Amino acid sequence: MIEPEVQYDSIERQHATARLGIWVFLGSELLLFAGLLTLFAAYRFQYPAEFRAASAHANVLIGTVNTYVLLTSSLTVALAIHAARHGHRRRIVMFLAITIVLGIAFDVLKGVEYAQHLSEGIAPGHYYSFSALPAHGAVLYFTLYYLLTGLHAIHVTGGLVVLIWLAIKARRGDFTPSSYISLELGGLYWHLVDVVWLFLWPLIYLIR
Amino acid sequence: MTDSSQPSALTYVVVWVVLAVLATLSLLASYAPLGDWNVIVAFAIATLKAALVFGFFMHLLHGPPLHRIVIVVALCFVALIILGVLADVATRSVASPYVDDVQSQRAVGTATTSSTP
Repeated sequence: MIEPEVQYDSIERQHATARLGIWVFLGSELLLFAGLLTLFAAYRFQYPAEFRAASAHANVLIGTVNTYVLLTSSLTVALAIHAARHGHRRRIVMFLAITIVLGIAFDVLKGVEYAQHLSEGIAPGHYYSFSALPAHGAVLYFTLYYLLTGLHAIHVTGGLVVLIWLAIKARRGDFTPSSYISLELGGLYWHLVDVVWLFLWPLIYLIR
Repeated sequence: MTDSSQPSALTYVVVWVVLAVLATLSLLASYAPLGDWNVIVAFAIATLKAALVFGFFMHLLHGPPLHRIVIVVALCFVALIILGVLADVATRSVASPYVDDVQSQRAVGTATTSSTP
């Protein structure tokens, strides 16, 4: 049995506080991305034709595949927590491993997409040199594209580090049906990264 | 949180299937000639998907009310950010106040087009 920290009378209380803490953090993450998404929307009103032309040049295939990749990784992380609740240690490790592979696949596909854009001279801000698209609005579209997807990719990568740490803990047998709070919190963070992508996907790739 | 109130593994799989179907719908709808409705459909589906992830995968539906309060408050602030900014930019009819436009208007005889750097 795990002892709670001194300020809690029970481990349940401590876990409840940890859960509330991560929800407040996730709420602040929502506000961070909402600000950037709104900036993107505001510039779209400013430069409608240029944004339409630029989004037609986005890689819808990679963007869409990545949507399914993240949705599936959300399922597997939920199943990992479900396995922990029922004490299936091997299944926790298996589902976390699948989640990690999917997360890496997301980052790799994102990298392919970036490489493709950069080879055409589509770089953020001042370094933009793609002559086929109307200058000003398209630069803004792609600069915000890099900012939004880059910040999101950093979140995915941070989530991956957490998932790898959790998988190591799970392999060691650290999680029992009464004690798997770090897995639960890591899972909640991973789901939020998925939710953010659910809004980036239509904004960047689908609205033409 | 009691164990009995948590969704079953089958619930998670069903939610995932619904999410995948909604993503496919969203992709197909983006090719339909709906005009301005394209944006509304895309974000309505995204919101529905986010609600499913929050509700089932993240246990917001089955968890303590305090978690729901945190997210509802955060969403109110998100709504304020979006509505506040878009109420401005979506209703502008006069020339935009951006620096490059002002400069192009100052340049002699080239004040005809906006947003040209």
